[in-house]
Amino acid sequence: MKRNLMNRPLAIAIALLPLLVGSFAFAQRNASPTNKELPLREIIKLPGKLLAETKTTGPTGNLKLTGYRVEEVALSPSVSTQVRGQQVNANKAWRVTVTGGPFPVRAMPAVIWIDDQIVGYGIENETLSQITAVTFDDSLIHDGGVVSLSYGEDKAGRTRIAQKLQLKGGNQ
Amino acid sequence: MRLRTRTHLFFFSITIMLALGGISRTAFAQVPDPGTVGPFAVTREEYDFGDTAFTATNFPGPIELRASIHYPTNLAAGPFPVILFLHGRHATCFTGGGSALLQWPCTSNNSQPIPSYQGYDYVSEVLASNGYVVVSVSANGINAVDNAVFDLGALARAELLQKHLDILKQFNTTGGAPFGTKFVGKFDLTRVGTMGHSRGGEGVVRHYVLNQESGSPYGIKAVFPLAPVDFNRFVVNNAALNVLLPYCDGDVSDLQGVHFYDDARYNVPGDQAPKHYELIMGANHNFFNTIWSPSSPFPGSANDFLAFVQGGHSDEQCGSGKNSQRLTEAQQRATGLAYLSAFFRVYVGGETQFIPILTGDAPPPASAQNTNLFVSYHAPDNPELRLDVNRLLNNTNLTANTLGAAATQTALSPYSLCGGSDPQPPTCLPGQPNARQPHTTPSARSTARGLSQLITGWNNMTGNYRNDIPNALGNVSGFQALQFRVSVNFADARNAAGLAQDFKVVLTDASGSSSSVRVSDVSGALYFPPGSVGPVPKVVLNTVRMPLTAFSGVNLNAVRSVQFVFDERFQGGVLITDVAFASAPR
Repeated sequence: MKRNLMNRPLAIAIALLPLLVGSFAFAQRNASPTNKELPLREIIKLPGKLLAETKTTGPTGNLKLTGYRVEEVALSPSVSTQVRGQQVNANKAWRVTVTGGPFPVRAMPAVIWIDDQIVGYGIENETLSQITAVTFDDSLIHDGGVVSLSYGEDKAGRTRIAQKLQLKGGNQ
Repeated sequence: MRLRTRTHLFFFSITIMLALGGISRTAFAQVPDPGTVGPFAVTREEYDFGDTAFTATNFPGPIELRASIHYPTNLAAGPFPVILFLHGRHATCFTGGGSALLQWPCTSNNSQPIPSYQGYDYVSEVLASNGYVVVSVSANGINAVDNAVFDLGALARAELLQKHLDILKQFNTTGGAPFGTKFVGKFDLTRVGTMGHSRGGEGVVRHYVLNQESGSPYGIKAVFPLAPVDFNRFVVNNAALNVLLPYCDGDVSDLQGVHFYDDARYNVPGDQAPKHYELIMGANHNFFNTIWSPSSPFPGSANDFLAFVQGGHSDEQCGSGKNSQRLTEAQQRATGLAYLSAFFRVYVGGETQFIPILTGDAPPPASAQNTNLFVSYHAPDNPELRLDVNRLLNNTNLTANTLGAAATQTALSPYSLCGGSDPQPPTCLPGQPNARQPHTTPSARSTARGLSQLITGWNNMTGNYRNDIPNALGNVSGFQALQFRVSVNFADARNAAGLAQDFKVVLTDASGSSSSVRVSDVSGALYFPPGSVGPVPKVVLNTVRMPLTAFSGVNLNAVRSVQFVFDERFQGGVLITDVAFASAPR
């Protein structure tokens, strides 16, 4: 029987914390800048506060991008992680979701960027119409940021969404 | 117009090179073809313990236990060596309306699983007909959620393979459903080979390490990552390794799997296992799996270079134009089949007659349906099989080679190392995308650096790179070849676009007698890397093996130097590493 995780956000958050702590401890042993963005399937299902959303006038690029959504997710209690090389207790995460597709399921992971910074490696939804990445670095979430998507950390091969970030309060 | 001219020049030069290479390979014309159907009739069956029968460590979703098994119908001749196949990341389910999904189990709208594991049946049938049991494992449950774990599914894939080996062990000892006792005593689990495609490629490497960490309950003799990712940089030590690299890979377009070979070379002293890779010039990522190919009836298939590379259609090498050098699905599979068969039949089955195919000493077999490929080979760390002249690992090697003798240069610029550990620059072609320089492309989950290479070039015909050989080590007569890895640096403007490079290798003995062989007389490896869109052109350092018999008039019992003499072209730029005397494995 399939569990309805959407109805139990608090339980999910509690269950998630050991995983997050463990994951970030592992990330700290590895110096790769991409380690901090380890996305977990469950965090994508936590309720979030919508900060920005856009839809393009038509599908953009090979990947047929149609828009993005940026949400703030509260984490309680906070988790210890590294942000820009500094150890911090994060009580918020930011979810960036790119819509479009259907996205191909590839060996190389989808990577979501804001400007020239990697938000994280993306997780596709079941219908392959969305890809979501998570960051704990609030500096990435700013007005005027350009959201783009690549496969692998292929900066030159990114598909950009023309509409820049316009946040609804906070993070400007 | 200019592109077309360049294309013609390139193919002309490649044709000449291959023809010349063929001359030196005629001695191996008698090597049998490993890709042909063998004497055994083959039966195919499947076992299926359910979509949620397996749970991997710290993995967030259920995994199926399902596999196909190809085996010689007459089991009386067993026990047979076992080959495991593991597919890579792909959509997991499809709907009647033709949509691909990423979920597991398949629950939406009466969706059904996409049987990626069936995509290698064409290889399984041939191997089984030659006396092997081939098991191809389904891993859709991993694909559905592996981007949500830190290692991107490598450990889960390894554990899944180990679980299937446990299942085979049960079939082989007590028997079990659905086969009863049919397979009892028919599997030789001390002789196992593994092939993984794409993320499955890293999966089989991770599995090799897991099996070792578990006390080696199964005898993994040979590991074959096919168009693999290498996110985590695990290394196969002490087992035969073969990496297949498709030049026109549109998914793992940086060919990061070459790290598996590069990382394993000098990693463990005394490693007796040979290492190989093949660069298949016209191959893409998906055609090796029939289910992922455009001819498949299942959604989610793609001609990846065309589908994933922006502007890919227009590339003269990998695109869709009439002069494109792309292989058809059938040709690509034939090439894969030939080298998969050769590798496993040598290193799992002990059929050593196919070794020359894997060292590049023999041409591709007829069953490969393709000659436009390059074979690289790293000999075992055995003083009878390999004498490293210059590994080119650190700056010391610019003046003193691995043998402790002098390394010198004349009129070369630059003359430096790149791609390896600090203080070398992390890449060799600054400003070029990572996908165009696979040996140094970064890894998603590791900070390990890439291949240390000599980047050099010449501006006139006096360029010379010389490695002296100490007197005590000058008897190289027991080796088959002088070999090195090399690529034309397409980013060096001294190389004429589309034209192959060339230089001489000169051996000089204690009496001062010398003998030279042009690279173009034995190899086509100095091709100008083709392509112009996205991930191509790209530098891949292919092995040049020069038979020592070609160096006539020099005393191979007392060689005193190896020189690369750059007097075949007025100017040029190349990348070089792994200079050695070497022989084929025994």
